[in-house]
Amino acid sequence: MERAVSSDAVPATVGSGGPLDDFEGLFEQYRPRIYRFILASLRNNESAENLTQDCFVRAYLARDQLRSASSAGTWLMQIAANLVRSHETSGRLKFWRRTLRADIDLSDAGDWIPDRQMSPEQVAVAKQQVEKIWKVAARLSGKQRTVFLLRYAEDMDLLEIATITGMKEGTVKTHLFRALKSVRAALEDQRK
Amino acid sequence: MSRHLSSRQILECLIDADDSDGLQHVHECAPCRAEMESIAGPLTWFRASVHHLGDASQGQHPRLLAPQPVPVWGTWSDMWGGLQGQGRRAGAASVLIHASLIALLLLIGTNRTVQQIVRDQVQLIAPDIAPYRPTVKKDAMHGGGGGGDRSPTPVSKGKLPKLANKQFVPPMISHVENPKLVMDPTLIIQPDANIPKVDTPNLGDPLAKSGLASNGFGSGGGMGSGRGGGIGPGSGPGFGPGSGGGIGGGVYKIGGGVSAPSILYKVEPEYSEEARKAKFQGTVLLYVEVDEKGNPRNIRVIRPLGLGLDQKAIEAVEKWKFSPGKKDGKPVPVQAQIEVNFRLL
Repeated sequence: MERAVSSDAVPATVGSGGPLDDFEGLFEQYRPRIYRFILASLRNNESAENLTQDCFVRAYLARDQLRSASSAGTWLMQIAANLVRSHETSGRLKFWRRTLRADIDLSDAGDWIPDRQMSPEQVAVAKQQVEKIWKVAARLSGKQRTVFLLRYAEDMDLLEIATITGMKEGTVKTHLFRALKSVRAALEDQRK
Repeated sequence: MSRHLSSRQILECLIDADDSDGLQHVHECAPCRAEMESIAGPLTWFRASVHHLGDASQGQHPRLLAPQPVPVWGTWSDMWGGLQGQGRRAGAASVLIHASLIALLLLIGTNRTVQQIVRDQVQLIAPDIAPYRPTVKKDAMHGGGGGGDRSPTPVSKGKLPKLANKQFVPPMISHVENPKLVMDPTLIIQPDANIPKVDTPNLGDPLAKSGLASNGFGSGGGMGSGRGGGIGPGSGPGFGPGSGGGIGGGVYKIGGGVSAPSILYKVEPEYSEEARKAKFQGTVLLYVEVDEKGNPRNIRVIRPLGLGLDQKAIEAVEKWKFSPGKKDGKPVPVQAQIEVNFRLL
């Protein structure tokens, strides 16, 4: 009665000829980046793991839509950004997620040492500023946070961000400008 | 470029790395560079912290595993086929129970009322309200009581009954044989009052002389020479001289839980003829006791003015009507002072 799934039902490699022949390689290459982006967006380890997995499952199922391997990063990031958006806006259980979730500790985020040559005071100031930016990022609207993280955490250029978010370049700039204004206001607030 | 960049332009430089004019200026102009770095620096550190965080949890993640053949139930019919007889019923029951439990949990979890209750949950603390509790000073206790049943002999010596807030039965040497409902006699006196203690088995006035058991010449129940169910020469259900319950003589003073009486009806005092002729003005200070019904009693002059004005003031105040002072929500007799002004227009 028991049946075993034959190995060709879930192949380790995608069919020959496509740009995603080596899906495992793609996974290894982009997983940290995707995971990092989702983690920074949602600030929750568990959700980030789930969504990273969802992202690659969706990518795998829709692998035919990808034409060239060079745009794989943008394509994956696009899926991730969509997942983050739908995760944030989904339904009634949002309340429980917000109430019960174990968010990452911001002091962990400041656990790194920016520069070994900095004095302890400078390190402390830097950590405070970074913590402030994390807080501002958490308060930003979904679109602003996505473009802000893509630009300043993932170092993407404006065109790539426009492709990922499906916005015009001008709109991306506007969102970035507003996000940066909030960041600057928070940093100036701290200096006072 | 001589002018400095505006803060907006600096943000635009940060956003768009292709803005070569702006970047050129920032390179050359120290103040603009400093301002740009004040934001760019923290942003760089932020990027480093995001990468650090991502890397930190990277080690904990499973790698993509090569798929292994896994036994699965292909279809529902396969699954049911695998279970025979008892197992099949048990399986169905299990699926049903699980499904209904999950449905119930979902139903409860998505219910707005439940969510509201969880949101409204607050931790309660018991604040220490001792500093705000009204305190009654010992010397603020006034009042008294008295009674008797018009016996020919004076009240006999004895102990006081229990102190309480309510009086159902006045203290008396009982003449009722086999009462159907036994109530302990009480006096309305604050429980912390200082009362004279006498160690005798029968009730009586602790300050009286020993003698034949008697309720005294008073009236209205109770014991002593007063009236109204208490013990002693006063009136009311308390002990001692004074009125209206309590102990210590006199009436209640305002304060210590006793509210002041307020005027309901007022008559302006007339001028006396002598004072009008002398064009005399001033203020008379009167002492008044306002009883439970709001009538002024025992009016006395504390600060006189003379020329017949004191008498006129007393005459006017006698016609006044008050809303009585209250203790614990009940009207009580209260002493007060009233200033009566005499002014010539």
